[in-house]
Amino acid sequence: MNMKWYISRRVLWAVFATFIILTFTFGLLLISPNPEASAAAFSAATEGGDPEEARERVAEIRGEDRPWHEQYVDFMVSMFTLDWGNSFTYHEPVVDTILRAYPYSVALVVPPTIAAIIAGFAIGVYSSTHQYSLGDFLGTSFAFFGLSLPNFWFAIMLMMVFSVYLGWLPVRYDTSVEFWSLEHIRYLILPWFVIWTGAIASEMRYARAETLEYVNAAWTKTARAKGLDETTLTYRHIFRPALIPLITIVIGDLVGIIFATALVVEVIFTVPGLGLISYQALVRQDTPLVLVTIMIPVFIAIIGNLLQDVAYTMLDPRISYEERDA
Amino acid sequence: MSLETDTPESTGIDDIDWEEIDANAVRLDPEIFYKYVSLVLLCLLWAYDYIYRDPRLSLLDVDIPLGFTTFNLELNPGNVDYLMGLTLLAMFWWVAVPLARSPEMTKQYWREFRRNKAAVASLVFLAVILVVGLIGPLIIGRPSSDFGAMHEAPVFLGGTWEYPLGTNSRGEGIFKIVIAGMRVSMQVGLIATLIVIVLASIVGTTAAFSGGWVDEVLMRFVDLLMTFPTFFLILFLVYIYGGDLFMLIVILGITGWGGVCRLVRSEALQRTEEEYIEAAEAAGATMRYIVRRHLIPNVSNTVITAATLAIPFLILTEAVLAFLGFGDPDVWSWGRIIAEGRDDLGTAWWVATIPGIFLFATVLAFNFLGDALRDAIDPRHQIR
Amino acid sequence: MTDTEPLLQVRNLETQFHTDEGIVRAVDGVSFDVYPGETVCIVGESGSGKTVTIESITRILQMPPGEIVGGEVIFDGIDLTTASEKEIRRIRGDRISHVFQNPQGSLNPVYTVGAQIREAIQANRDVGKKAAREQAIELLDEVGIPEAGARIDDYPHEFSGGMRQRVVIAIALAGEPDLLLADEPTTALDVTIEAQIIDLLLRLQEERDMAIVFVTHDLGVVAEIADRVVVMYASKVMEQGHVHEIFDRPAHPYTRALLDCLPGPDGVTPIEGTLPNPLDHPDGCRFAARCEYAIEPCFVGEHPSLLPADGDEDHLVSCLLYRDGHDESVIDREPRRADPFAVGDDT
Repeated sequence: MNMKWYISRRVLWAVFATFIILTFTFGLLLISPNPEASAAAFSAATEGGDPEEARERVAEIRGEDRPWHEQYVDFMVSMFTLDWGNSFTYHEPVVDTILRAYPYSVALVVPPTIAAIIAGFAIGVYSSTHQYSLGDFLGTSFAFFGLSLPNFWFAIMLMMVFSVYLGWLPVRYDTSVEFWSLEHIRYLILPWFVIWTGAIASEMRYARAETLEYVNAAWTKTARAKGLDETTLTYRHIFRPALIPLITIVIGDLVGIIFATALVVEVIFTVPGLGLISYQALVRQDTPLVLVTIMIPVFIAIIGNLLQDVAYTMLDPRISYEERDA
Repeated sequence: MSLETDTPESTGIDDIDWEEIDANAVRLDPEIFYKYVSLVLLCLLWAYDYIYRDPRLSLLDVDIPLGFTTFNLELNPGNVDYLMGLTLLAMFWWVAVPLARSPEMTKQYWREFRRNKAAVASLVFLAVILVVGLIGPLIIGRPSSDFGAMHEAPVFLGGTWEYPLGTNSRGEGIFKIVIAGMRVSMQVGLIATLIVIVLASIVGTTAAFSGGWVDEVLMRFVDLLMTFPTFFLILFLVYIYGGDLFMLIVILGITGWGGVCRLVRSEALQRTEEEYIEAAEAAGATMRYIVRRHLIPNVSNTVITAATLAIPFLILTEAVLAFLGFGDPDVWSWGRIIAEGRDDLGTAWWVATIPGIFLFATVLAFNFLGDALRDAIDPRHQIR
Repeated sequence: MTDTEPLLQVRNLETQFHTDEGIVRAVDGVSFDVYPGETVCIVGESGSGKTVTIESITRILQMPPGEIVGGEVIFDGIDLTTASEKEIRRIRGDRISHVFQNPQGSLNPVYTVGAQIREAIQANRDVGKKAAREQAIELLDEVGIPEAGARIDDYPHEFSGGMRQRVVIAIALAGEPDLLLADEPTTALDVTIEAQIIDLLLRLQEERDMAIVFVTHDLGVVAEIADRVVVMYASKVMEQGHVHEIFDRPAHPYTRALLDCLPGPDGVTPIEGTLPNPLDHPDGCRFAARCEYAIEPCFVGEHPSLLPADGDEDHLVSCLLYRDGHDESVIDREPRRADPFAVGDDT
């Protein structure tokens, strides 16, 4: 009963958060100089035209000469109905551009993320259960270096060594390559590796920190006293209780990191995914496309947060208990 | 003293200063007097600079004779440099002076800290980066194009000592670029952190002490801020407001305080339960006094640690933005040079590689330092 | 008690911890025996090494930073300090079980109590899930949980502290052990609950004929349940013997002082001073600095070895004054309380 109430409250909050963020975005766009109009004004000025006139013309085309509340309602309605307008650079609905780009992002992001979660958790748990050992030291050091490594620089270094000097891997992504082919992997391997190293370091650190708490927990001692072998003990009594907070962190933290890394990696390796689209939209000042490509990670984060909280409530018996008591 | 409220900076610092000028405090404590004098001097200098200086002229342009040669010292500070001055002042009054004032505590911290060799090395490295970054460009000057010396190799690969780390495609010396980049990274890291600390302290303590709906609203706002993937929020703000260094630092500061704010609030709530606060309350001290006198000094270790650990993200974000071309084109950011070096990977690998090594090392050093600080001074991580 | 073979023999056990500050000698040459079916109480202040001692027996101590550096623990002819991981795992739960101090944390919060008891059964017996569940219900019933069949699928947080400790005991019983090592199992509980748990343990001991090593700092509990007592102080055994000998005629000045801490007709007499620094134990007798009978030789050399008190081989004391050439009669061995065994009853 109370759990349902909690979840519905949580969903309401997510809707509210979306609303606030969109309003905030609208407000920002309203009060700030439109980069696109400034660009038009600038080019008008350099071509000997009237910059103010050019600015107004852009505003008129975009419907920005109307009162702000009309614009606001329009903005919100179109946002919620997925009517996100046309891209200036691609001359097509933004939705189409997004739909064309997202498979590349998925292919780029999903495999290394899963690999990073599995490897990161495994190494992190090994580290915490073998505290102060050489393996722990190496693992912790690796995580430290991974966390400090500037991804974009690392990507360029890899590209320099493996593509430019050794010539083993292609320098630029080629969209004509068959999507489901081994050849495609040759193009993706460096980008995968960069995303993987970007994600694994934080996964390891979180996994180590969360499980370390349980390595010395009283129930671990109880379990050991039962005569359980170390593998079962580690899995059931150290990893499993830590899994709930870890899921939280993975969703909450990883979304931001992965999307940011993916954007940079797509730009460097010219993979035509959402990140590259977003980057090009920013450079070409294609505001509708900028808005949507930036809002996508935001909404994934909001939904991720929601799912994570709901999962937390359902997975952890203690939470529902406290809710029940309250 | 009436002048101090005239400039935006001074009202900011006035609000967060840890030791309020109570009518009696001024009489009691010369430290506070000097603190404010230094602040007012900085603000006056800024105001003078802002109002009277012709942008084409330097604030200071003198030739210092050094016997064999004359050294030309030219100071041309911008808003970022004044903010950096403010940050250094804050570090001096909030970190150096309290440490010097209680040598016993300092010794104990140092004993803890010293055990972590990597952190000691990091501290030395960062101090060098800071000092060289601040003073270096004044001495060796800014990088300048030399189209007769494009893509020169570093000295260890047969280059000349004129360009110890080689040159880029415009013949600009990588050595000078790297030193100019130190300044940028330090400015971004330290100033934005100051903004983060100030905002987080104000909002965190307000939420903790007001309680009720104020607390609820403030913390829900922090929730929202933290839900937003920071990188994209920054990207969006930079898109709208442009990425000149001053704006970028402000954007980094105002988007990054959520986590520290939560920490401050929870520490503050925890501390208020403790006896000395209750004792102070019972003795009739005002809330304002308690917060400044007892609470902030006690949560400052936590805040300093969290802030140190936030610096790597700030520096990396600036570098990424510069790399993507959204940074300040007038600023020698390491990220920007790495982006330029992309086109020369086959011919001049050092252009992208060397600034990246410095960026990596700086971020790594801050991470090591933050980790060691957490072990040494953060009460929440004390070893049992 | 010498007519049968001991079930467990602890000989000169030495356990250390490696810390940043240096090596902590938490157990420093401790010896005692446990015979089948009896109850041995290990008594001492916090930090005296009691818990480390019994956690060293089955090596469930966190290692590292802990390390057993010397001595033997003989159980069933096997030296547990050198036994392989596999051998010792067979003994844990099956032959020797543990009950811990903190019922709050002793159960994993993400599994039902049934799953955790079943796990203990299946770790030691080759039985199916269904049979294990049946047995788990029986065990819950045996430790006095009402409606065991319904509560087996509840999570630990749905039980009170006392009930949770009963679950922990059920887990400990799952392998039908010969020896139960109970580390302050009642310290965290209310006094009334404490009495129930102790009654439960005594009943189970009777029914199952198992030996219990009971670690506590509560002399009232000792008086109630112990057959024999081991008094520990600063990582060393100070005195051991039959419970009546310990309470009626304590031989060691420390034991005497400890007994005076119990509320008596003259009120409570606390021991002056604090435990010595475990990083750097003082020369000579560990207790000398706090001992009212200490003489100059007490402060030099090693801590005195255990000697028979009153010529009784079952009552050992580690005090210099019992050596030849010293006069132990200076020690006032009459405890100030009227009836030591009254204490356990009225609590």
